[in-house]
Amino acid sequence: MKKLSRREFLRVGATVAAGATLAPYIAQADEAVVSNAPAARQGVTIQYWPSWSNFPPAWEKMVETDEYKEFVGDNTVEVKTGTPWEAVLTAIAAGTPPDAVSNYQYLDLMARGVLRPIDDWVAASEYFKKELYFEGSWNDGFYQGVMYGAPGIEGFLRYGLNYNAKMVEDAGLDPDNPPQTWEGCLEWHEALTKFDDAGNLTQMGLDPYDAMGGQIAIQDGFYPPVSWGWKWFDADAGTFNIANDMMIEAFDVMGEFYRIAGPDNVAGIRSVEGQGGWGGSFNASVQAMIIEGYWHPGETIIQKPEVGQYNRATWAPVPTAREGAKVQGTGGHYVVFFKDAANTEPMFKIAEFFQTDTACQILFEDVGWLPARIPFIEKTDPSAFPGLEFYFDSVTEATEWSSPARCPITAYVSQQYQELREKVFRDELSAADAAAEFQTRCEDEYKMAGF
Amino acid sequence: MTLQRWGLRPKYRNLLLGLIFISPWLIGFIVFTIYPLISSLYYSLHRYDLLRPPVFLGLDNYITFFTDKSHTPVVVYNTLYYVVLSAPLGVVSAFLLAGLLNTQIKGRSVFRAIFFFPAIVPAIVTAQIWRFLLNVQYGAVNGALQGLGLSTIPFLSNPDLSKPSLILIHMWAQGNAMLIFLATLQDVPRSLYEAATVDGANGWHKFRYITIPMCSPVILFNLIMAFIGGFQNFTLPWLISGGTGGPNQSTEFYSIHLYRRAFQNLHMGYASAMAWILFVVIVAFTVILFRSSGRWVYYGGAAE
Repeated sequence: MKKLSRREFLRVGATVAAGATLAPYIAQADEAVVSNAPAARQGVTIQYWPSWSNFPPAWEKMVETDEYKEFVGDNTVEVKTGTPWEAVLTAIAAGTPPDAVSNYQYLDLMARGVLRPIDDWVAASEYFKKELYFEGSWNDGFYQGVMYGAPGIEGFLRYGLNYNAKMVEDAGLDPDNPPQTWEGCLEWHEALTKFDDAGNLTQMGLDPYDAMGGQIAIQDGFYPPVSWGWKWFDADAGTFNIANDMMIEAFDVMGEFYRIAGPDNVAGIRSVEGQGGWGGSFNASVQAMIIEGYWHPGETIIQKPEVGQYNRATWAPVPTAREGAKVQGTGGHYVVFFKDAANTEPMFKIAEFFQTDTACQILFEDVGWLPARIPFIEKTDPSAFPGLEFYFDSVTEATEWSSPARCPITAYVSQQYQELREKVFRDELSAADAAAEFQTRCEDEYKMAGF
Repeated sequence: MTLQRWGLRPKYRNLLLGLIFISPWLIGFIVFTIYPLISSLYYSLHRYDLLRPPVFLGLDNYITFFTDKSHTPVVVYNTLYYVVLSAPLGVVSAFLLAGLLNTQIKGRSVFRAIFFFPAIVPAIVTAQIWRFLLNVQYGAVNGALQGLGLSTIPFLSNPDLSKPSLILIHMWAQGNAMLIFLATLQDVPRSLYEAATVDGANGWHKFRYITIPMCSPVILFNLIMAFIGGFQNFTLPWLISGGTGGPNQSTEFYSIHLYRRAFQNLHMGYASAMAWILFVVIVAFTVILFRSSGRWVYYGGAAE
């Protein structure tokens, strides 16, 4: 056998290596030719990132339906849940965003021009018609007159005071006569808050900053302005209205719940049960009342039926001076599409699929969610979950409607609110100073963000 | 050889060969260190939110940091508090621990393994364990206190106690520094101790005049690493506070604030400026430590 010289060996090796390196590209080039043909436009992989961790079981059921198969065609949808916001930002900055996302800071994305306007698609759609949706939810898909968000997945009403009727009864209170004002809630809170012999909190009446009471981020509104009845941000003028008597009163009134339970105690419970944990402490029967949206009855019965069976809901509290005001809000979620993504058009078909009764029914039964889509709401059984009926009744009984402010620095506002309210209930800052500081911080940030 | 055929002079040929051989590292260094370093300096002079093109601001981000009364004072105080206490205490605890584990005790290897173990536990596990151990309502430590008829302590939920608690956890996780000290202690010549014994030195004298000076270069090294780590402290407080820097901003350290400004508030330019300020502070601290080391660090091999 002929021996290979070192030079020949290197030459053969280099040829093989070059061939191996180029082989995938050669194969891809062939595929690229095929994929340019009209028939091959099918078969793309759509990237959809909804951040909810409880979405996958419902999605698994959806993909099995005939309707989904019609909508998706020969395409494939890759759903990635629980992706951190930081990863979404990095993907956008790198020019490789997913085709669409849900449950992220929609306004941050809309205001910074990374989303694809969808007015043209919506105009041509059989599914997206303004009159089929709650007005506030439809309107919140727009930013400065351009539509970016296709309502979907979850979007029914946002506010209600949910309470565990059994815990209420055990505390000697009347579950048929729930409080309607902050004053009334405070009385219930005092009766329902329990400590052990060492002074540790074992049960809390109401954490007013949990869930919808404390969140501003994404599309969930800012509860003090809803409860006290004012607008905290003027999107047209780009001005904030936070340093006012109502915000001051809200800091004081809501902070009192923490003073009674003990700020360290609440922080301790929260580190286990989670702050803004969307019902975690309610499910654990550590908290008897919670300000939550319509999803609370369904989620609780699905996740913890032994607790969910006692759930009841009533109007979210308002100040005594506004007794009788029945506040309710729209908002909810959207599918938003990235300008730089490759397969947004087939993804829009999936957003349309989310509007079908099939998809909505799966989401309702498996997760407890309802859309902002009126035809489906009209078909839904309000008695499906204990407490849900209140939300259905509130559609006609509410006296005041709110929608999340169109503020492009909402995440920052939420963060500052959390910081400053803690300084108030820990008596480090007066409510008036906190409100003034809140206003200043928001104004400074708005300028700094370049709006 | 090909390079010879190119007619390169031996000096350049060797340089080229050297560069080719280190090119994997060199490329990585340029792409993952030099480029981010330069780009962060560039972004620190701009308003940049990752989503829109950068807008030149000059030194505004730096000025904003130094003039911000809302967050900068709190963040700087928290960080200095942590660095000034955790770095020396961490080094002292590691040194004492190494001293104890260097003695002739039964089961020494087992003890060494036990005390080193925290160093290899992932931060997320450490955070979860301590969160549950120190929780005021459900924690094992408070459960034990309650069992003894004592009042519970809100270690992590009280703003005055959260930083000391984090320092305590830091002192517990000193396995790496302890291991380095242990190796150093074993390298101290026995003859020095024997000579000291002959001279009538007691245990304290031996520790003060032999052990500490002989270990001082390693003490300096561990101290510098502890200072740098303290300034960059992120993972544990982030996990323990659930990413809030709470309670009441008491664990909002410099790196946590930087991260929140970058990724939660979309101020990548401002965060880059913060990173550069931190870099300068760390360099300054390191230089000060090195300068002071001439007075207290003993190098056996150093020229007189």
